[in-house]
Amino acid sequence: MERVAVVVLAAGSGSRFGQATNKIWLPLSGRRIISRSISNAAKSFKSCRLILVIHPDDESLAKEVLAREVPDLKVELVYGGQTRHGSEYQALMHLRKDIENNQLDVILIHDGARPLAKPALFKEIAETALSHGGAIPTIQVAPSEMDQEQEVSVVRVQTPQGFLAKELLSAYLKAEADSFTGTDTGACIEKYFPSIKTISVTADPTNVKITYPQDLVIAEHVLAKRGYRD
Amino acid sequence: MKHETINASLECTKCKTETMHELVYAGRLLASTTCTVCKTKIMHESDDLRVAYVKDLEHRIKTKPFRLWRRFWRNPTKTFTEFPGKALKQPRKFWEEIKNLFN
Repeated sequence: MERVAVVVLAAGSGSRFGQATNKIWLPLSGRRIISRSISNAAKSFKSCRLILVIHPDDESLAKEVLAREVPDLKVELVYGGQTRHGSEYQALMHLRKDIENNQLDVILIHDGARPLAKPALFKEIAETALSHGGAIPTIQVAPSEMDQEQEVSVVRVQTPQGFLAKELLSAYLKAEADSFTGTDTGACIEKYFPSIKTISVTADPTNVKITYPQDLVIAEHVLAKRGYRD
Repeated sequence: MKHETINASLECTKCKTETMHELVYAGRLLASTTCTVCKTKIMHESDDLRVAYVKDLEHRIKTKPFRLWRRFWRNPTKTFTEFPGKALKQPRKFWEEIKNLFN
């Protein structure tokens, strides 16, 4: 599979608390979290477009970090929107021409704060999305983890999430016209293309999203166990 | 151990919201995090940190020749001109790190 674009979302601002750094720029075992997220995406395919969605204030930092930590990768920078949905829309607008010209088959959307997603997961998501329309990595939540009994099974959804490029672009254009804001990529596809089958792919429990301080410690341990590969 | 401090916004389990945290690094490893609002501190236990540091140092030393070669391959002039200065700083850097492990 050669016609894949991976959009890595990193537009969140850490500046709401003054001089705080956006967590995706934090070091994690010697490299920035975002560098690990990008290089894992790149390792998954022989060639793919890599789009990094950033906050405008982070542009010079992004260029410096990418040049130092992933100098062999061609990463296209795009300014994000106010929300996750807005950032996805901006990335899709950047890719619009190539999607409409049939240059891209599948788009993967990945959270930059998930530096431990393995290359195999990106590949599986892309292949499943190409054959079924959409794919998301999920982990089933154990009943003991929930406050009340549920009649249906509950899953935790991770990223990367993958969808057919044309349908994804079309869904976001329709959402823009309707002023609809989805909570994640899957929500927007589900609203405008309910016929698309989004397949659940078994996720990796170590694919943590850096949210809490302890996540950084867990991520360090996972990387050490992996011998700092991936 | 040379400690580097970075402020970052992370979710605090006690405040139940995103707050500014002070992160202290020991070499490449995270030594502690402190929520600047409720002062909740998460620390790497010192003996455990030393063990982790030694393992990490071992990895850094093992991979140094490759990383140096890769840097040279990408930018020979810059690597060559910067090398003497950086090499001279290494013993002091390691000495400071090792010395502070036992402080």
